Amino acid sequence: MSYLLLTLLLLPLVGSAVVFAWKNSTSKYLALGFAFAQMFLSFYMLANFDATPTVDGVLQYEINYPWSQFIKSNLHFGIDGMSMVLLLLTNILTPLIILSSFNEKPGYRNTFYGLILLMQFGLIGVFTALDGLLFYIFWEVTLIPIWLIAGIWGQENKKIAFTTRFFVYTFVGSLFMMIGLIYVYTHSASFALTDLYNANLNASEQTVIFWFIFFAFAVKLPIFPFHSWQPDTYTYSPTQGTMLLSGIMLKMAVYGLLRYLLPITPDPVLGISGQIVLVLAIVGIVHGALIAIVQNDSKRLIAYSSLSHVGLMVAGIMASAILTVKGTLMTEGGEGALVQAFAHGINVVGLFYCADILYKRFKTRDIRQMGGLAKVAPKFAVLFLVILLGSVGLPLTNGFIGEFILIKSVFDYSKLAAVFAGLTMILSAVYLLRFYGKAMFGEGNESVLSSAKDLSAVEFTVLASLAVFVILLGLFPQPLIEMVNSSLKFIFTSMMN
Amino acid sequence: MSVLIIIFLTAVVALFAGVFEQGKFSRYISILGLLVAFYISFLPEAEFFNQYKSMFDYTVNAALFTKIAIVITILLFFLGGFSFSNHRSHQSELYALMLFALCGGIVLFGFQNLVTLFLGVEILSIPLYVLAGSNKTDLRSNEASVKYFLMGAFATGFLLFGIALVYGSSGSFDLYKIHQFSLENSKDLMFNAGAVLMLVALAFKVSMAPFHMWSPDVYQGSPSLITAFMMSVVKISAFFAFFKVMSIGFFGITGEWINIVGVLIIITLFLANVMGLAQSNAKRMLAYSSVSHVGYLGLIFFGLNNLSAYNLAFYLFAYSLATIGVMMCLIWVEKLKRETSYNAFKGLAHTEPLLAVAAAISMLSMAGIPLTAGFMGKFSIFAQAIQTTPFLVLVAVLGSAISIAYYLRLIMVMFFPKESSFKTSERVPLTYNIVAVFIIAALLVLGIFPDLFATQFGM
Repeated sequence: MSYLLLTLLLLPLVGSAVVFAWKNSTSKYLALGFAFAQMFLSFYMLANFDATPTVDGVLQYEINYPWSQFIKSNLHFGIDGMSMVLLLLTNILTPLIILSSFNEKPGYRNTFYGLILLMQFGLIGVFTALDGLLFYIFWEVTLIPIWLIAGIWGQENKKIAFTTRFFVYTFVGSLFMMIGLIYVYTHSASFALTDLYNANLNASEQTVIFWFIFFAFAVKLPIFPFHSWQPDTYTYSPTQGTMLLSGIMLKMAVYGLLRYLLPITPDPVLGISGQIVLVLAIVGIVHGALIAIVQNDSKRLIAYSSLSHVGLMVAGIMASAILTVKGTLMTEGGEGALVQAFAHGINVVGLFYCADILYKRFKTRDIRQMGGLAKVAPKFAVLFLVILLGSVGLPLTNGFIGEFILIKSVFDYSKLAAVFAGLTMILSAVYLLRFYGKAMFGEGNESVLSSAKDLSAVEFTVLASLAVFVILLGLFPQPLIEMVNSSLKFIFTSMMN
Repeated sequence: MSVLIIIFLTAVVALFAGVFEQGKFSRYISILGLLVAFYISFLPEAEFFNQYKSMFDYTVNAALFTKIAIVITILLFFLGGFSFSNHRSHQSELYALMLFALCGGIVLFGFQNLVTLFLGVEILSIPLYVLAGSNKTDLRSNEASVKYFLMGAFATGFLLFGIALVYGSSGSFDLYKIHQFSLENSKDLMFNAGAVLMLVALAFKVSMAPFHMWSPDVYQGSPSLITAFMMSVVKISAFFAFFKVMSIGFFGITGEWINIVGVLIIITLFLANVMGLAQSNAKRMLAYSSVSHVGYLGLIFFGLNNLSAYNLAFYLFAYSLATIGVMMCLIWVEKLKRETSYNAFKGLAHTEPLLAVAAAISMLSMAGIPLTAGFMGKFSIFAQAIQTTPFLVLVAVLGSAISIAYYLRLIMVMFFPKESSFKTSERVPLTYNIVAVFIIAALLVLGIFPDLFATQFGM
């Protein structure tokens, strides 16, 4: 029983309850305080965390407590390298997301911050749960707060339609995952992760389960044909909601893919199913990038770029998984995906914040009507560029190392696939630099520019902290790769048997 | 049986309070009587009643269902004071009739004999025919009453005819003798015909499609509190009777009727959910949602095991709590706005946050979102049924996928608008807030610690 993990899990929940009750304009400081406390707690846990354990996939800070006598499921939580990386991402981004909303006018009320903390609770549950049912429960718990955030503070004339689509789409996906997990449960000893890995399923059952569970992840990521909810939701949600969705929430699906889908159903990975997923992911990379090139709406552009980047993560994971199931242990895809998940989280939150800052200055999301801001806002120009180049994947930024490993792992599986997957680096440079050029350079509208200000203190703090992470992880990616290595070895080895 | 007697006496006293023009007290009398009955329901049955065991047996399952039915009725009676506030002169009949219906329900929980089954069904139904029409000046209420009565009488005919055929072939009314007969003579045509007729009658009583045609009109026309009573207590009673007859009495011929139930479930899930989606009136939407839940409940017949009755009780309890949570909100809105379209709920969260949150959590629970009791209920039923018929579970999941859309619509109307459409200074009564807090707590606690249900209600 680890009280540290218990605190980490319950602190956001308590925080959310307190903030809900705190009907005062100071509730935002309270929420920020809780988020910072949570961040320092996870740093403390990182300091005492053994990143390179002698036994692969060993769990630290474990909590295991019986739950129900009727359901063979335990309240089982624990952290390994993979969880640690995503926990850090969650706990670093949440305070920044809360901070980024401080300048909003009119100010957000306590409910907004309460919902963000509730969301954080769900995310931490997803990343630490080691039990199929718990994972599903937390997976769904994250949906309600983000849906309310998007719905209550989203763009007025669009919100009914896009929130309904978003909720129904993801809920249907989750329901399929639930059937899949229940089916595996009835063929295994319990919902415990190791029992699910060793469930007694034949090849055809595995194929059906694979697609059922994959559907939930494919919607959340999103993978190419299941992405129709994403551009609208990212565009019309309030900026903080978009940040939560794109920065942290879609990483749940990357995590679920590695932790649940592949080890539970390794057989179909080898067959046609694995290749279909790989192809869909690569189609998504090119499709997302091509649409992003012609987008003029800044938030929509970033949404499609996210589709493209996520496709690469999945392609890398699947390429390594296929090779592993064939008999050669390859963990590069997983490593690349997790490093990239961390980097993408930082970058996309930064980009959406930049889009928000641009919106505040120009009062429009259309990049054709922007321009010339670099002259009056030099600080913003620099920080925006750093984050943007991180997203492009320039060497020495955080985006580079992840994408490089991912493309390498796709290359190991198929050179042709790598050609298309590699397009992401070229195309992302095209659309992001076009975005930057249109927004920051050129003549610009004098009347807007004369009143435009450079970054405020809050904006500067958020963007600068993100930029620090962009460069820091670009220079020193090794600790991150080492941390995920042992848990990935455990997962990929269990796929081989 | 002692519980039955206490509730019956309470009903008589409540009724006589009205006779002596003290109708305003009948609610307190009823709640007091129900609390006593609730306490008694935990005690073992008195020795004296053992002689009636062949007709009515207070088994563990009967006790479990009795307890949940009483809890739900108490909660509904708490809402009664405000809901019936325009019935000043004859409130006592309403409470007494609901208690009589509850008596019928309790007979159904403990029946051991088809005669008791028939008695239970009738004692349950006849007060409901009256209650459905209790809003005398409202045409829809009258329509509901007549419709319910005509259709109900017809279904009773089916039930009696079925019982007659079963009796004719097996030579007994006793449930366990019929159980024995079904094991030995599974090919007896007359017996099978009787079983199917009884299935039709009971499917009517639980409003399983295509025998559900009465329910949207009756649920919409009846006064809202009575609708809540029909959706919760009556559904608990009728479904448990249905479950008991089919799974015990006709156990030996399961192969003969299980496919019929399977088809009925598929029709129920699709029809009710699609129709629910098409509604513009919240009360009618809830009526269809209530029908669709019978579809999920029907999965209990697949992959029967010794936990089935417990899972059924859990699901029904979770569903009934959620029903009260939504109906409570609806009663309040109906009182202020005199209508129940979706737009009537606009911005409720700004003026009555507690009520709106209770309704939202209730609907999320009905849709089966985790951390609510509804999820645990659905989960246990799905986990049971998936072992024999994964296909039906898939259908059920598609059904809940459709259902979430209409639940969301109502939640969105309450929470998303920037301003409230409730301009009145009238505040919701304190009892409603207490019940709302209770419902929120109960749904969340049962969703997080589902075993509490077993420990609190004694399993």
